[in-house]
Amino acid sequence: MRLQVVARHLNQEKIVFLLTVALVIAFAALLPNFLDRGNLLSLVRSVAVLGVLGLGMLIVVLGRGIDLSLVAIMAISVAWSMQLIHQGLPVYAALALGLVFAVGIAFFTGILVAYAEIPPLFATLAMSTFVYGFGRAHLITGTDVVYMPQNMGWIVGLGQGKLIGIPMPIVIAALAAFVIFLFLRFTKLGSYVYAIGDNLAASRISGISVRPMLVLQYVLAGVIAFVAGVLTATSVEAMNTRIVNSNMIYDVILVVVLGGVGLSGGRGNVRNVIVGTLLIGVLMNGMTIMDIQYTVQNVIKSLILLLAIVIDSVVNPRDEQTGQQGDI
Amino acid sequence: MEPIIQLKDVTKEFYGVPALRNVNFDLMPGEVHSLLGENGAGKSTLTKIMAGVYEPSKGSVMLRGEPMSFGKPADALDKGIAMVFQETSLVPSLTVAQNIYLGNEKFFNRLRGIYIAAQQFLQSLNFGVDPTMYVSQLGAAQKQMVEIARAVHHKAKVIIFDEPTATLTPEEKHHFFALVNRLKREGVSIVFISHALEEALAISDRITILRDGQHVITDDAKNFDRDKIIAAMVGRSLSAELYSRDMSRKARPYGHKVLSVQNLSMGKMVRNTSFSVYAGQITGIFGLIGSGRTETAKIISGVVKRDFFHGGEVKFEGKAVRYRVPRPAVKDGIVYVTEDRKIEGFFETKSIAENIYMNLLSSDLNRGIIVSRSEMMDLAKQWTQRLNVKAIDADARVIELSGGNQQKVVIAKALVQKPKLVIFDEPTRGVDVGAIAELHQVINELADAGLAVVVISSYLPEILNLADRILVSRQGRVVEEFSTEDATEAKIMYAAVH
Repeated sequence: MRLQVVARHLNQEKIVFLLTVALVIAFAALLPNFLDRGNLLSLVRSVAVLGVLGLGMLIVVLGRGIDLSLVAIMAISVAWSMQLIHQGLPVYAALALGLVFAVGIAFFTGILVAYAEIPPLFATLAMSTFVYGFGRAHLITGTDVVYMPQNMGWIVGLGQGKLIGIPMPIVIAALAAFVIFLFLRFTKLGSYVYAIGDNLAASRISGISVRPMLVLQYVLAGVIAFVAGVLTATSVEAMNTRIVNSNMIYDVILVVVLGGVGLSGGRGNVRNVIVGTLLIGVLMNGMTIMDIQYTVQNVIKSLILLLAIVIDSVVNPRDEQTGQQGDI
Repeated sequence: MEPIIQLKDVTKEFYGVPALRNVNFDLMPGEVHSLLGENGAGKSTLTKIMAGVYEPSKGSVMLRGEPMSFGKPADALDKGIAMVFQETSLVPSLTVAQNIYLGNEKFFNRLRGIYIAAQQFLQSLNFGVDPTMYVSQLGAAQKQMVEIARAVHHKAKVIIFDEPTATLTPEEKHHFFALVNRLKREGVSIVFISHALEEALAISDRITILRDGQHVITDDAKNFDRDKIIAAMVGRSLSAELYSRDMSRKARPYGHKVLSVQNLSMGKMVRNTSFSVYAGQITGIFGLIGSGRTETAKIISGVVKRDFFHGGEVKFEGKAVRYRVPRPAVKDGIVYVTEDRKIEGFFETKSIAENIYMNLLSSDLNRGIIVSRSEMMDLAKQWTQRLNVKAIDADARVIELSGGNQQKVVIAKALVQKPKLVIFDEPTRGVDVGAIAELHQVINELADAGLAVVVISSYLPEILNLADRILVSRQGRVVEEFSTEDATEAKIMYAAVH
């Protein structure tokens, strides 16, 4: 009985959080420099962009969608902005054009999903390929890598600056998390995102404008992708468009799912993404210090994901017949 | 004679909350045993213990005198116990025949062979279902028939039917009861759960009544009548107020015309139907399944679109309207209370309070962009009190409530939008007797308050009791109108089936 009560209060988010704490303790005991202020900051900083992208994915997934085009939008929109600056356009105008590009693409994706009723998996996969192909063919000429122009001014600070000793990417990520949290928790539109993810038919009958809301979700995700792109480009002083072909988008889905956001929609919040991102950050940091091969790191990462999901399905069985009190 | 299944002092708890307390139940070979009780009385839990879905927390279950313990439902099926669930458990992407033979396939599973065999089998049961159809294309009633056919085909010795007749037409019900009698002659024991008491009385050998998870009475069916069953189910006699018709009831006068529908058409479901709805009274629409009543209601409330050409005309408050989505209908003051609350009625991951508040947000009554928890809790308190929703607190999730309480939440969601016209589609389907009286009370109060109310129902006593005027729908159009004074069950049924 006691065990059941305890088990009932455990969910994937808490399990992952406990797992993170356990890992921190283990690494702190094994690795001498793990708990240094510098290492901890670089740990969080290394996953800041991933976390920001995770927030964009969160909004879409809550509405029972998925957005595989986030990384492509991030890379191409920001790379194009910087290319325009190189070609002599004023900094703000170039960045504004990049943002318009990101929003335009996301808007079109939203139209495909909401009005043409194409499943989000296919719509965003196709858009991802389109954005990368179109960007490489027509927007970004020359090499895969667009280096950061020298005249970006204060914007460089977003990637390289510090606020009271904390690297700016962490501050921006935290700020983004807070804004999304406020949006989802306290605004009417945020409530609609949950309602649509929970039950689209019921949302519609309730009088929610379901289709414009779906478009809005993708547009918000596109804006967030652009922000993540600016953070990346200013941190490393370049945007490598080949990132679209990496498995970064799977890492984004990983931190969202790992934290306990339900892919079936309506379940999850910003906290889940933070917890998922931190676990990945701790894991990668510890393994890098221990000098574990990149390929082995991937194996461990995926095992952790499977472990979290298995534990969750054991303590919270999904089977309606046995897991819920329901209609007695 | 030895009982085939015997439950002794069975208790079942969910997280410490008892759903069944010390219940005794036995089932004789070849008998039809009805299990009656309000929603939440423990009927489903009891049958699921028999079918091996749940393990009892305490007590013993004996199968032919031997203790049984099923790890999974498949074990029960192997021992000859089949359950026909309320929610259908068929595979939608397989055909009817494949579903019937599921788990019984031969090694070389020739489709043509099983289609022929299934055709003969379905014909022998008098079920008009095409075995080559995919289950996803079938209507609710046909799915139920396939489900029943599958249980019979598995040569089950015990078949548990959970509300088998809710979706069947009178004709199909007739075949179903003939089938039950045939199975009985073949020595199959049947457990029958239903909210339709007349059916239970007509078909059962014995009746067991549960209330609040406890056993109330088991006796031969011939010793029961409707009043006695209802009294045992609810612990008080509701019969007078609910099921017998109050002949002295006066129809409410006609208010102004709120809705006028002219020659409305949509595909094959709604054909050229015309009628009007007036304020301050309840317009009842009676029709059998497939008569287009739900579709008509959904067109009016913007859930589906009428035909673009020759679709007819809908006027609301004197203004011609053509809603493409429900939102403008909600804004204008038309709300639709769905017949299928699980699919399109409420948000299952959300609490009662969040569910009710969501509809205030989505109406134009709340123009703000910020949500307020205190406003939400006030609203929830107000509506749960007004509709008497029974739950631990307003933070309880709707999915955990009984059918009647879920329906009250769905109705509260509609009413917070301050509608001028409310369309209730089967407002008391899958709702227990006690809650039916409360829901009828709520609907009457709305009409008394001057709203235009439409009640769609396929349950005649409900229409006769509630409606001030009765429209009968048949094959996609309203074919006849009765005033409440002239209406009789026979006249209405005659109009509906011919």
